[in-house]
Amino acid sequence: MNSFYVINLTIYAAVDAMACLGLSQQFGVAGVTNFGYIIFQSAGAYAAAILSLPPDTANGGFQSYIGGWQLPFPLPWIGAAVAGGVVALPFTFLVGRRLRGDFAAVGLLVTAVLLNLLATNYRPALNGDAGLALVPAPLKGATGQFTTQPASYQWAFTAVAIALCAAVFVLLRRVTESPYGRSLRAMRDNDAVAESLGKNLLSLRTAMLVIGGAIAGLSGGVLVSYISTWSPAAWGYAETVVLFAAVIIGGSGNHVGALLGAILVPVGFEEVTRYIPTSNNLPPNLIPSLEWVAIGLLIVVFLWLWPRGILPERKRVIPLSGPVPGGEPATAPTALARAGSPRGRESGIILEARGLSCEFGGVRAVAEVSFAVRRGTLTGLIGPNGAGKSTLLAMLAGTLQATAGRVIYQGRDITGVAAFCRARMGLVRTFQLASEFRRLTVMENLLSAVPDNRGDSLQGALRGRRYWRADEQRARARAEAILDRFGMSGYASQYAGDLSGGQRRLVEIMRALMAGPAMLLLDEPMAGVHPNLARQIGNELVALCQEGMTVLMVEHELAIMDEFCDPVVVMADGSVLAEGTMRELRGRSEVLEAYLVG
Amino acid sequence: MTIFLASLGFGLVTASVLAIAAVGFTLQFAVTDVLNLAYGAVMIAGAFLAYVVNQAGLSVWIGLLAAMAACSLGSVLLNAGIYAPFQRRGASPITMVIVSLGMTLIIEFGVQALAGGVSVSYTMAQGPTLRAGGLVLTVVQLVVIGAGLALMGGVHWLLHRTRLGKAMRATAANASLARTCGIRTRHVITITWALTGAMCGLAGTVFGIDSGSFNATSTDLFLVLILAAVFLGGPGHPYGAMLGAAVIGVATEVSAAYIPADYKYVIAFIVLLAMLGVRPSGLLGARA
Repeated sequence: MNSFYVINLTIYAAVDAMACLGLSQQFGVAGVTNFGYIIFQSAGAYAAAILSLPPDTANGGFQSYIGGWQLPFPLPWIGAAVAGGVVALPFTFLVGRRLRGDFAAVGLLVTAVLLNLLATNYRPALNGDAGLALVPAPLKGATGQFTTQPASYQWAFTAVAIALCAAVFVLLRRVTESPYGRSLRAMRDNDAVAESLGKNLLSLRTAMLVIGGAIAGLSGGVLVSYISTWSPAAWGYAETVVLFAAVIIGGSGNHVGALLGAILVPVGFEEVTRYIPTSNNLPPNLIPSLEWVAIGLLIVVFLWLWPRGILPERKRVIPLSGPVPGGEPATAPTALARAGSPRGRESGIILEARGLSCEFGGVRAVAEVSFAVRRGTLTGLIGPNGAGKSTLLAMLAGTLQATAGRVIYQGRDITGVAAFCRARMGLVRTFQLASEFRRLTVMENLLSAVPDNRGDSLQGALRGRRYWRADEQRARARAEAILDRFGMSGYASQYAGDLSGGQRRLVEIMRALMAGPAMLLLDEPMAGVHPNLARQIGNELVALCQEGMTVLMVEHELAIMDEFCDPVVVMADGSVLAEGTMRELRGRSEVLEAYLVG
Repeated sequence: MTIFLASLGFGLVTASVLAIAAVGFTLQFAVTDVLNLAYGAVMIAGAFLAYVVNQAGLSVWIGLLAAMAACSLGSVLLNAGIYAPFQRRGASPITMVIVSLGMTLIIEFGVQALAGGVSVSYTMAQGPTLRAGGLVLTVVQLVVIGAGLALMGGVHWLLHRTRLGKAMRATAANASLARTCGIRTRHVITITWALTGAMCGLAGTVFGIDSGSFNATSTDLFLVLILAAVFLGGPGHPYGAMLGAAVIGVATEVSAAYIPADYKYVIAFIVLLAMLGVRPSGLLGARA
């Protein structure tokens, strides 16, 4: 085995590993399925090429391209990373909150197909079908592919490629293992819920697209500097599928798995096919075609047999510290600073709906509902199925846009405020259906909701653990106190997805409390919960209200309403029918008719 | 004007091919909730099967029937063997799209391994050329347009006049509700795959007839047109797919008369991205 072979293989491995790391961050950690990933690698490769090439009149003008600035190393590589990141920006409109993930993925896939078609057919910008050749190697003049560099140079290039790959790995691990990375994983597991806890999905996904794009771009820049050519044939849409195969096989969400996948799939395939005896009897396209078939088979088989890959995402177990010396007492776990005066059971109005309506294609689910919730109350919301309770709750929380009417919260009109902003203002909701972050532990579920963690931003994450350790420890202490209060300490290190239905409801309520809400909107928090546990939840909610929090709770179980809620609002057919204590309501015939008969 | 009318003629043919393909694709998505990206690959497999039949000395129209039968069977197997097991396990829509992309590679390059990466064309007579008010079409092209119209009429009849069609619509609207109402949804889904698979085979063969020559990767770009047509009208809406196919088919071919033909797909692409960004439920879909 000669050294050229080792160098060649190592550089390819480093480039593929970088690309896989970027994709692993997007897809495995943040759940952004970017089927157009190869676009960004290609953008970096082209950028590095035109930044380092001489003007296109050189070499007899046999190729035409824009640029040709002959910039010195390392500017072309920096340019490659920047190009990959900048090209990613326009795609943020595809990954916003509204679009289904699979639709966005299809949009990116189609973009990759089309851009490749354009690059193939449009010659002036990037030399079309033939692509760019004679790209100079770093620190060397235009040498071309037929003159070889001395071995020492080759080894130095290899070392730099490995160092860059290592740097990318360290950077991404720092991001992933921070509170910001936890937010990314929460978004991956359930984006609507993450948003309801104050995560700005658009900003998170934009950051992932740009970072992944920049890494892909850098890998393209390194590659083009080594092989000195780049053409549309090198970046067909299916190349993205190879990288996806690598990430899935290595272990989605595990960066070490991405490295392993890069070595097994793109590098391994190149090598295996090299040893297949070439025979003149075989049809010319047979081996490359079968390679693609094998990539497809690998994806389908792995997703079926080992969906988490060879090295699955590891569980982040956060050890419980036990009672925290000098920490907050376990009975007052929530930071209720925003709830106003802590024990003030003042009768001011915290949330008000004015003429709120919602239509679904002509059906009025909620029709001009007006009511107010007083601060410090545990207000119940009842009504028969289809009365519009959940729809109303969704409009109050901002999950659903109201067709007409206004929402006033703490004296401010928040009708047009996005859901994640409302959560940050202390208006936090839970969901009717199970909404735990499945592949986060119970502890991580709780921590994911904490606002104001310094590490819960890209900048904070990049500054490292030391920057956010204090915030994180405070959050952990609070989480432990809440776990203790609800008797769930024993489950702290279990995946939330492995819990029973009732336990998951508890996780959801605890998580909402971790957000430090001034007002909680609970959608059937006791559905499917054991009666004893439901009573315990009710008592805790009453206690929290006495501490100054406000709760609006949808519930079907009238016994719960009797015991805990005052006042109770009754809805039927999209409107508010009555409001009062349960005792009063039971005496009113229209309520009995709507709720108990109808 | 003559250029415009001539390209309009091509546009009508493309729109017909596209309508057959897009209606099948959108029905698959409506009833099974799978964005089956392997649809284009199954199409080209059908086109190649028709080619093999054609090479054996039979008429391409017999090849077309063979392709319809084979793609129908293949689609049922694809669902029963791959998609349905993944869905029963609760795979997310994203996982399903990745699986379908894997199946695309397997089928498309499987065909290429067998066919050898060369472009082929059917041996067939185009029939006499007919002219009417500036439109110039061959008999074969008219047959393709006729097939498109017949298929659209047939789908309308199926969905609104038959028990099966109503069961399909019920399954599309809410599968678990349909099941509790006594509709055998698994049955309905299997039949849907059989029907849409036949449409896929039909679309593949008329695509081969229309484009003159084709190779194993020819439908990569045609899939862009299908997706654009489907998303323009609204994914899951058969009438939306028909409308989208008409608009996209005519727009791409007419524009090809005025801009370099290589760029004619750009219009479809812009339409697709605009719909995804602005109104993913499509023109005929309910507001999201």
